[in-house]
Amino acid sequence: MSFSTILFQLGSGMLKSMGIFLWTIVLSLPLGLFVSFGRMSKNNTLRNIVKVYISIMRGTPLMLQLMIVYYSPFLLFGMNIKSFRFPAIIIGFAINYAAYFAEIFRSGIESMPVGQYEAARILGYGKKQTFIKIILPQVIKRILPSVTNEVITLVKDTSLAFSLAYMEMFSIAKQIVAKESTFMPFIVAAIFYYIFNFVVATFMEQIENKLSYYR
Amino acid sequence: MKKYLILLMAVCAVFGFSACGDSSSSNSGGSSSSSSAASSSSSSQKENTDSEKKTFTVGFDAEYPPYGYMDDNGEYTGFDLELAEAVCELEGWELVKTPINWDGKDMQLNSGAIDCIWNGFTMNGREDDYTFSIPYVDNSQVMVVAEDSGINSLSDLSGKTVGVQAASAALTLLQSDEEGGQKALADTFASLQEFPDYNSSFVELQAGSIDAVAMDIGVANYQLKTRGEGFKILDEVLNSEQYAIGFKKGNTELCDIVNKDIEILTDNGKVAELAEKYDISDLLCLEAK
Repeated sequence: MSFSTILFQLGSGMLKSMGIFLWTIVLSLPLGLFVSFGRMSKNNTLRNIVKVYISIMRGTPLMLQLMIVYYSPFLLFGMNIKSFRFPAIIIGFAINYAAYFAEIFRSGIESMPVGQYEAARILGYGKKQTFIKIILPQVIKRILPSVTNEVITLVKDTSLAFSLAYMEMFSIAKQIVAKESTFMPFIVAAIFYYIFNFVVATFMEQIENKLSYYR
Repeated sequence: MKKYLILLMAVCAVFGFSACGDSSSSNSGGSSSSSSAASSSSSSQKENTDSEKKTFTVGFDAEYPPYGYMDDNGEYTGFDLELAEAVCELEGWELVKTPINWDGKDMQLNSGAIDCIWNGFTMNGREDDYTFSIPYVDNSQVMVVAEDSGINSLSDLSGKTVGVQAASAALTLLQSDEEGGQKALADTFASLQEFPDYNSSFVELQAGSIDAVAMDIGVANYQLKTRGEGFKILDEVLNSEQYAIGFKKGNTELCDIVNKDIEILTDNGKVAELAEKYDISDLLCLEAK
């Protein structure tokens, strides 16, 4: 196999990895925010349910979670899972990452001084207004470094989709390795992942700079 | 912030949807024709027009040359896949090649995600779990060792570390204490190490962290051909067995169609021609009438 074919194959796998990455980000960030509300809820039952959810998501390997999400419709209901592969991967990644993001959001929200809520109330802000206009913008600023951490981990975690035989970059690298009998495609894949992460990290840094308007 | 969010969403839409489209086309094939070949009757298939083409989804391990692997152009090919292609041509089916994870093959087959496992699939010892086609390749499980290791027979492996692919027929063989099983031999090994793929086991063999790797002879020949010097296959084989196409238990209807087509392809020389191409002519157990 020529080097350009290897690059092309890995490149097409990279697009699929990016697909997993972007869908997961878009779904898990908002979901994480809502989960964090549940985690901080005054309702005991809801709070405990969310606590158990987070505990399971953080306490079991993502690879097993992916397999459970993919195979359970068949194992439990006997459904045909022929075209469920990609949705299963996205669901698996999104619910897993939402748990981590929820804790990050919680750390940000709980770090806000009570004085801000009191001041907002005196100025006539409603609860929603206070959160959206005053609290959330500051929270985002504070949690960005931790979010960047998770996002970078996510880029690398997309390779776990190989366990469901989804043809993302790592699966393809493994196939080329099998055919060519050399480890070289793995090195190329590593470089691809690094470049991807470099772009992501730079992008997050830009956002951080944009948001540091008080400095 | 908003600007970035919009940008992110836009990029996401592009990649996400394209990835989604790819996956549905490669995994479920013609998703428009929801009826798979498994549920169709044989008589009507030849009249099918393109719009109503039946799909025939073959599950294979894409890391298993020469039976199923990625070729120089990045397409999936191999002896088994080309034979499947020939069957589909006869029947007017559309072949969908679905790479699977070998560990998850049963789940894929039973759930209907694939119609058959067609990938150097050993039938011996698995007769109760699948409906098998006629055997098409005489396979044997062999031991590959480093040329300068001084290991020349199976008895030399006593006290050595032996590698084997997870969920493979070689592993089952080495764990079986029934007649023909090689558990007694495996008990003489220092340990039996399971590997996810052959490449890592070969690197470990080269590095000396394991002393031998058990695998199918066709795979061993391919590996030795592409890796060149430094390895040898022990003359003593662990067993001899057959490859067949595995269908879901009870799916004799589809199995019969494929059997009939394989006979046709054997008689017209197509099978022999493909065996020649993939260098496994010695192993072929189908003979033209």
